[in-house]
Amino acid sequence: MSDDSVPLALPLLRLASGSSEVTTLYRELRKPLLRYLVCLGLSSDEAQDVVQDAFLSLQRHLASDAPQENIRGWLFRVAHNQARNRQASYHRRFSEPLDGEIDFLADDATPEQRVLEKEKFRRLAAAIRLLTESERECLLLRAGGLRYREIGEVLGMAVSTVGDTVERAIKKLAEKCNV
Amino acid sequence: MCDVQAKLIAWLDGELSSDESADLDRHIKGCQECRDRLATYKQVSEAFEVYCDAVVAGKMRQRVSRWVPVLASAVAAGVVLFLAFSQRRIEPPPVLAPTLAATSVPVPALRAAEAAPPKTIRRRHAVPPVQKRAIKWQPTETAVQIAIPAEAMFPPGAIPEGMNFIAELSIAPDGSVQQVRLRQ
Repeated sequence: MSDDSVPLALPLLRLASGSSEVTTLYRELRKPLLRYLVCLGLSSDEAQDVVQDAFLSLQRHLASDAPQENIRGWLFRVAHNQARNRQASYHRRFSEPLDGEIDFLADDATPEQRVLEKEKFRRLAAAIRLLTESERECLLLRAGGLRYREIGEVLGMAVSTVGDTVERAIKKLAEKCNV
Repeated sequence: MCDVQAKLIAWLDGELSSDESADLDRHIKGCQECRDRLATYKQVSEAFEVYCDAVVAGKMRQRVSRWVPVLASAVAAGVVLFLAFSQRRIEPPPVLAPTLAATSVPVPALRAAEAAPPKTIRRRHAVPPVQKRAIKWQPTETAVQIAIPAEAMFPPGAIPEGMNFIAELSIAPDGSVQQVRLRQ
């Protein structure tokens, strides 16, 4: 997803063009946040709303006297909680088959390549649907570049539990996909 | 099976302490099985990220496709409006053409009448050539001969009886008498 593929909400246009700490964080984390939220099952519109709310909360957080360590983990946690609150049908939507919605092949791929890649992708999608909720969330946050400690803060888990969960999830996918 | 395999993913993610990481580095260099497993975990991790990107792209396409009917309707409405307005602009010429054609007869007449004064002025200036012709037509011989009885021109007894005179008149083209000469 390109930077321009998702239009900015109006209040965030100021953020995108500014030079404050929030602006730097916005440029760095907007895309991973959107990806995380959309992969959780939110629509792109919902995801943008959540991102906007999260950054507005961040502005208030930075202006307050609250401890300001690990801002990235804080931001993902706020977004994660807001997504959970908004997403009434979270479990159902995340479990929906996504095979028909995805388009990941290059335009110059041959028909054979397309068939093979599609089959691999179908197996991966099926394996992902077999993961537990916490395993999926751990992998999504890991794919967003978060450290285990940050993932633990977002999901309210111990760092060691995060490590175990990530390891279990990766091994499940490797096994199911026959990689 | 190596006893360090449980730490491979944490090593891949850079989550081990520096001591643990250094130990694992040495082990991996000499263990093909661990290197193969690491390659598999890397591949799965990358595939998962590709999957996430594909999901996001699919959602975005759905979002765009949701707007397609709206955009198509807007474009169609725009085209209809454009055609309607453009036809209005084009229609008048054929409608007005007959009107113009019907009124085209008096219009030139009126224009001619309006243009008459300058033409009249030109005609005034054209008169001199006519006068030149009159000058060129300088009479050198009698144009008209009229016999007039002497008693009708002179009092009785002023001239001998039976004498007649011939009056030679030179008449200009405009009808005026230019010269009169009497001869016997």
